[in-house]
Amino acid sequence: MKRDHKDSCGGGGAAGGTVKGECSSMQSNGKAKMWEEEQQQQQQQQQQQQQQGMDELLAALGYKVRASDMADVAQKLEQLEMVMGCAQEDGISHLASDTVHYDPTDLYSWVQSMLTELNPEPNNNLDPSSFLIDNNNNIINSTAPVFNDDSEYDLRAIPGIAAYPPPLPQDNHLDEIETANNNINKRLKPSPAESADSAASEPTRHVVLVDHQEAGVRLVHTLLACAEAVQQENLKLADALVKHVGILAASQAGAMRKVASYFAQALARRIYGIFPEETLDSSFSDVLHMHFYESCPYLKFAHFTANQAILEAFATAGKVHVIDFGLKQGMQWPALMQALALRPGGPPTFRLTGIGPPQPDNTDALQQVGLKLAQLAQIIGVQFEFRGFVCNSLADLDPNMLEIRPGEAVAVNSVFELHRMLARSGSVDKVLDTVKKINPQIVTIVEQEANHNGPGFLDRFTEALHYYSSLFDSLEGSSSSSTGLGSPSQDLLMSELYLGRQICNVVAYEGPDRVERHETLTQWRGRLDSAGFDPVHLGSNAFKQASMLLALFAGGDGYRVEENNGCLMLGWHTRPLIATSAWKLPSSSESSGLTQ
Amino acid sequence: MSATMVQQQQHRREQEKRPRFFINDNIDILREILKRLDGPSLGVAACVCRLWCSLTRNDDSLWEHLCFRHVSSPPTASVRAVVVALGGYKRLYMVCVRPVLSRLGNSERVRKRVWTRHEVQLSLSLFCIDSYERLESGRIPSDASASSLMFLCNTVNV
Repeated sequence: MKRDHKDSCGGGGAAGGTVKGECSSMQSNGKAKMWEEEQQQQQQQQQQQQQQGMDELLAALGYKVRASDMADVAQKLEQLEMVMGCAQEDGISHLASDTVHYDPTDLYSWVQSMLTELNPEPNNNLDPSSFLIDNNNNIINSTAPVFNDDSEYDLRAIPGIAAYPPPLPQDNHLDEIETANNNINKRLKPSPAESADSAASEPTRHVVLVDHQEAGVRLVHTLLACAEAVQQENLKLADALVKHVGILAASQAGAMRKVASYFAQALARRIYGIFPEETLDSSFSDVLHMHFYESCPYLKFAHFTANQAILEAFATAGKVHVIDFGLKQGMQWPALMQALALRPGGPPTFRLTGIGPPQPDNTDALQQVGLKLAQLAQIIGVQFEFRGFVCNSLADLDPNMLEIRPGEAVAVNSVFELHRMLARSGSVDKVLDTVKKINPQIVTIVEQEANHNGPGFLDRFTEALHYYSSLFDSLEGSSSSSTGLGSPSQDLLMSELYLGRQICNVVAYEGPDRVERHETLTQWRGRLDSAGFDPVHLGSNAFKQASMLLALFAGGDGYRVEENNGCLMLGWHTRPLIATSAWKLPSSSESSGLTQ
Repeated sequence: MSATMVQQQQHRREQEKRPRFFINDNIDILREILKRLDGPSLGVAACVCRLWCSLTRNDDSLWEHLCFRHVSSPPTASVRAVVVALGGYKRLYMVCVRPVLSRLGNSERVRKRVWTRHEVQLSLSLFCIDSYERLESGRIPSDASASSLMFLCNTVNV
């Protein structure tokens, strides 16, 4: 059983084969030796046995059991069988090699020791498995290529639970333990790997259901071990672990499986060095973006809270100009236009400048969105003007190009765009500088609430794993109560793909290509503070609207709106996932009467 | 003549004296009654006869009353202009108000609640987004159009 665990841990089929071969040969050697010993010693022992009241039949097999203890031993064997049957294979693997405290021929005390070993520590199952994984790393690093079988019998490798008692192990005892184990385990499960071992002597077997929670934890551990291997540049080990993640992930269901597959895929890319060109096909990413917009509340939350901040800043302005750092399909602006149209005192003139990436087929996507918004503005009676700017990076933006007119109240809006600037040094400072030159009344920033920009790969990986697990959980939660129609699940798949691309970027890419450099609200606060911006508190209106919006989502029980020093955060259960914050320049409140 | 025949003649004369009242002759009263119905009942009313059907379908003011009946402060006049421009109150009710009311109503287990301006604002915003999506555009694929409110149509696990 212990070697099965190591097999599955490494995922190397070849290694497993040789191990199995050795195992069965060890067993047959063991059995042969035992029989020889017994035949030689039988006569010598017979007298002893009779004196001690030992059972004769069992003695013939080499086990000393008092006739008086027989019922007790039988009962204990049954208990042991039950406990072993219920426990994880990992959890008792250490017993296969550790519980060599007593002479196994003394069946009574041996079974006793097994039971006491098992019963007080039913929850320790996880620790040995994680230790084993870590120790695999250590062993492999010190020895050679993939899996060295010597580690199997090197009981010193297994830490913690008295695995290596001093007087033992000699090969004889090992054999006896194995055969004793096999006799006990005759009617217990094995994993498929073990079936080849003792096919002859174990005709019947049960299959123990793997506890999903345990397997899930094992999946996470394996993912983390793989990431660590990648960080240590141990690519062979990482490769083996990544394959194993695939196997483990298949046994999971729902969000966990999807997250694990995306992360495994990203790790594989990193290991093999496959970096497909960043597809310039932004129409596809727009489609994914739309599906993400529709299937979960994150983008809607971002839009509604940012709009509320902009509305409050524009309460009395007659001319309004919004600069959107990432226009995409312009889904944020209809709601703002409608709110402006219903403003007491009538709507102001509304000017929108949308910024977007260049299109591969040279179509003017921005202009099309602008036309649509203009149509809507005409319907609801708001004077509207649109301008589109195509640029590769926000740092290329020049404030003079934007043609800010005097007397205009300007707002700058950035939803999930600013973190991309962190990929190149100096870009984010240039952008913030540009914003300052624009002199806006309000700057609204929505960003992911996670630190995926740390220097260490493993830390980044761990953070990302937790973040995207929560995100996928929330997607699963909101779609589970939808009707079983085709379109909700298509939305879900597309949203997951959208997030999967982010995962791939965070894990597999480096340098200027790694654009998904998310940072936490605290980090952004520090950055904006040092750039000279003052925070603006998002009011209770924004909070109420956001809460109401979330209540509308099916499965909305898991979503939480939190207020954090004037900023609003949307999270899933206890984990905040995105944060909206608003900023202004200290001089803008003083210069309300001045023209630019 | 027999006694029964005399009785029948008397009965007929009494009936002719009573003025007959048909609700369909008095559309104002009909309108007043329909104004006070809730959504499902209005739908049922539309199936009664052609007159009722045309009233419920074409008279947007019925739906306006339905939408804002529960609002604590009556909406301003500009709201009507916007709503009518975006597709009318009946559409507003079907697309936004009904799902929002039922979703929020379920979660708070209150059958009739008073709407605050926040809920009105939210419904109007969602309505506007929906109308925007339905506008003709070459870029958004047809299956994604007008589905930003799909989440409102999904049934809630009660």
